[in-house]
Amino acid sequence: MIFLRRQMPLLITMITGLIFAAQYYVPHPASEQLLTSATKWLQIIGGFALVLGVTSLFHVHAAKIRRKEAGWGYSVVLYAGMLGTMAVGWWANGKESVEGVSTAFGWVYNFMMVPLQGTMFAILAFFIASAAYRSFRARSREAAVLLIAAVIVMMGRVPLGEYLVPISGDISQWILNVLNASVRRAILIGVSLGAVALSFKIIFGVERSYLGGGKE
Amino acid sequence: MSFAERMLNIDRRIIFVVIGLCTLLPLLYPVGLPIKISQEVRGVYDHIESLPEHSVVLLSLDFDPASKPELYPQAVAILRHAFKKNLRVIAMTLWVSGTGMADELLTKVATESGKQRGADYVFLGWSPGGTAVIINMGQDLYNAFPSDYGGKPTKGQPVLEGVNSLKDVTYAVSLSAGNPGVEAWYVFGKDKYKFELGGGCTGVIAPGLYPLLRSGQLNGLIGGLRGAAEYESLIGEKGRAVAGMDAQSATHVAIIVLVALCNIFYFSLRRQARQQGSQS
Repeated sequence: MIFLRRQMPLLITMITGLIFAAQYYVPHPASEQLLTSATKWLQIIGGFALVLGVTSLFHVHAAKIRRKEAGWGYSVVLYAGMLGTMAVGWWANGKESVEGVSTAFGWVYNFMMVPLQGTMFAILAFFIASAAYRSFRARSREAAVLLIAAVIVMMGRVPLGEYLVPISGDISQWILNVLNASVRRAILIGVSLGAVALSFKIIFGVERSYLGGGKE
Repeated sequence: MSFAERMLNIDRRIIFVVIGLCTLLPLLYPVGLPIKISQEVRGVYDHIESLPEHSVVLLSLDFDPASKPELYPQAVAILRHAFKKNLRVIAMTLWVSGTGMADELLTKVATESGKQRGADYVFLGWSPGGTAVIINMGQDLYNAFPSDYGGKPTKGQPVLEGVNSLKDVTYAVSLSAGNPGVEAWYVFGKDKYKFELGGGCTGVIAPGLYPLLRSGQLNGLIGGLRGAAEYESLIGEKGRAVAGMDAQSATHVAIIVLVALCNIFYFSLRRQARQQGSQS
């Protein structure tokens, strides 16, 4: 049993990891066919992951409702929303419109999901403005540099800013193209090297946390 | 409590009203300030402009309704441009929650441009797997999407004639609000299957994509509402983005003024505290 729980997953990880790392550099048709099949598997597994995610969400909120935890009413709303959307989705055969006419599922999408998500995103502007007023202070030299850069980029990214301070557009572009790009690239290279190192650790079984910490 | 202290602890609802007015008034009374075109946006425009008729353009609408204000106008502008140039458009999404919106926008722009589904454009919809979908499309497009969003088999559609995988796509543009998006299209698509790639994104994630732009991994980048407004100006069809730029201008300037005021009050308080400290 320990072999199935421990050694077997490590073996599968090592073999598939090495094969697909090498596959990238082998343009032979058999190698390409292997990649095609593997990505098809990944798509199928992705579909199962979705079902697993929804099931897990249902479990978490069912427990909240059962125990009447704080905010359990929101869990009821979640249940109603999800089950209601699933029901109309099945009824409409997953189609939002049929020959240009909106279905019930399309109605839920267009008149509930779209405005709700739009509203959530739109109110961010108000909170950002309020937070900027309260916390964007030049308390130190570093904070002052950040503040000046932010003001220049904000000015340079809108026509009114460019109209009031014509040079702000060029300075803002320079900040984005030179300062920002170089620092981002450095971070990206660091993160990528870290990802390569982690991949090697997983492939060779040094990093095993993905196996879970269950009883032996 | 001094005036500066009172101003620093101002009721946040006043700030909300200021921002609300700065958004609403320019939308009701637009000024229409000129918009300067950046090299990043011109990169995408010039490339589409240079494509011969019937070239295949793939547009991946990788966003959901939350990012609609910024990315929807970008998508509309690019589609109008592609249809005007008689290019074949393959549209899809990597974000399941954006599927309905993507279909609606594609149908709307195609109808106003007099284009036919299946002949001039196709909407593949969404498929699970995230980045694996890109690789699968690179290997075999019909394996990744055996049917389009309407359930019609993809094989045999005139718009896909001569297209078997991503290798046959002339130009791809990903309009993304996060992951999977532009970066995924570069790492799993362009790098292996060698097609030209352009990007569009929300203003928040644009700075993160500049390294890809500067290294030539992306040939252009449309950033936020500003980018959409620039693209609308380039194609000569001013729409929602240009209209929204006045509101964005006013809110940006309002936030700058608020930040400046907050710092003035903060420093005056610090000065007061220092003076009181030296007196005692």
